[in-house]
Amino acid sequence: MEEGMYRAVCGGRIALQRRQYSASCREFSVRCPRLQLRSLSAATCSVWLAAYGLFVLSQNSMVLSAAIFITLIGLIVYLHFVKIDQESLLVIGSLGIQMTSSYASGKENTTFIEMSQVKDVVINEAIYMQKVIYYLCILLQDPQEPHGVSEVVPLFQSSKPRLDCLVEVYRSCQEILEQRKTSDFTRTLN
Amino acid sequence: MVENSPAPLPERAIYGFVLFLGSQFGFMLYLVWAYVPESWLFSLGLTYWPQKYWAVALPVYLLVTLGIGYILLFGINMMSTAPLNSMHTITDNFAKNQQQKKSEEDAIPALRDITISEVNQMFFLADKGICNRN
Repeated sequence: MEEGMYRAVCGGRIALQRRQYSASCREFSVRCPRLQLRSLSAATCSVWLAAYGLFVLSQNSMVLSAAIFITLIGLIVYLHFVKIDQESLLVIGSLGIQMTSSYASGKENTTFIEMSQVKDVVINEAIYMQKVIYYLCILLQDPQEPHGVSEVVPLFQSSKPRLDCLVEVYRSCQEILEQRKTSDFTRTLN
Repeated sequence: MVENSPAPLPERAIYGFVLFLGSQFGFMLYLVWAYVPESWLFSLGLTYWPQKYWAVALPVYLLVTLGIGYILLFGINMMSTAPLNSMHTITDNFAKNQQQKKSEEDAIPALRDITISEVNQMFFLADKGICNRN
């Protein structure tokens, strides 16, 4: 198992963990930094100060309890629906590719794509907001029509690693996908 | 036959001068309408004018539209940008329907759209020698 520190597109630090389970099975996990105490307290203080300012203006104490409520609910919603702690990619050569996103509240989202639908894993560049970013994506093919891309599935959407990290993952994935091509070739020969 | 060139021509000079006169006249008319009291205009016999309220309202409308237009243009730009999971970032109809020409030996290959898989292999795998080039 190897671990490396890289940077995300926005500048934050992320960690890439690579695990090789067998010759045709590898897992890549990208971990984002956890929610910082200082950003949490900064957000809470600003919301509460604004609420106190409103209270001083309107003399209505409901504003204060509403602010507390909003802060609590907002934090829970953020941790459960927005803040992704870890995104991992499990590539099993003969079976398929599985993507997992784990949120800060413990929730996990998993998507599995079987290998007959996977055409290739490539690094694509696209315009995102005001930047052009590199991102890793899986090109899907229709099993009945192997010459043609039916869908594009972007990977590592919330951690957005930079090109150096993506090239590592790309090279490892290509080694596994190469084995699939040679095994297909030997199967068509027999 | 009219050539599409931006060179100055006599007709364009005339158009420009007519536009200049028209815009100056329009501006003077607007000033007269906005500033001269209604009683004086009525005494001249000119009674059918729009309300003077519009002399202030229309410029304000125009400026607000201009400001919103900046923001709207920026927003339309961002909305028409293809999302990251769209097929338009990979290929388009021209690339899908291009003819495959046979490449001759010792000749520069014909210009064509290269698939993203090939491009990736050339960029990121070339020094490791894993790429399979056809």
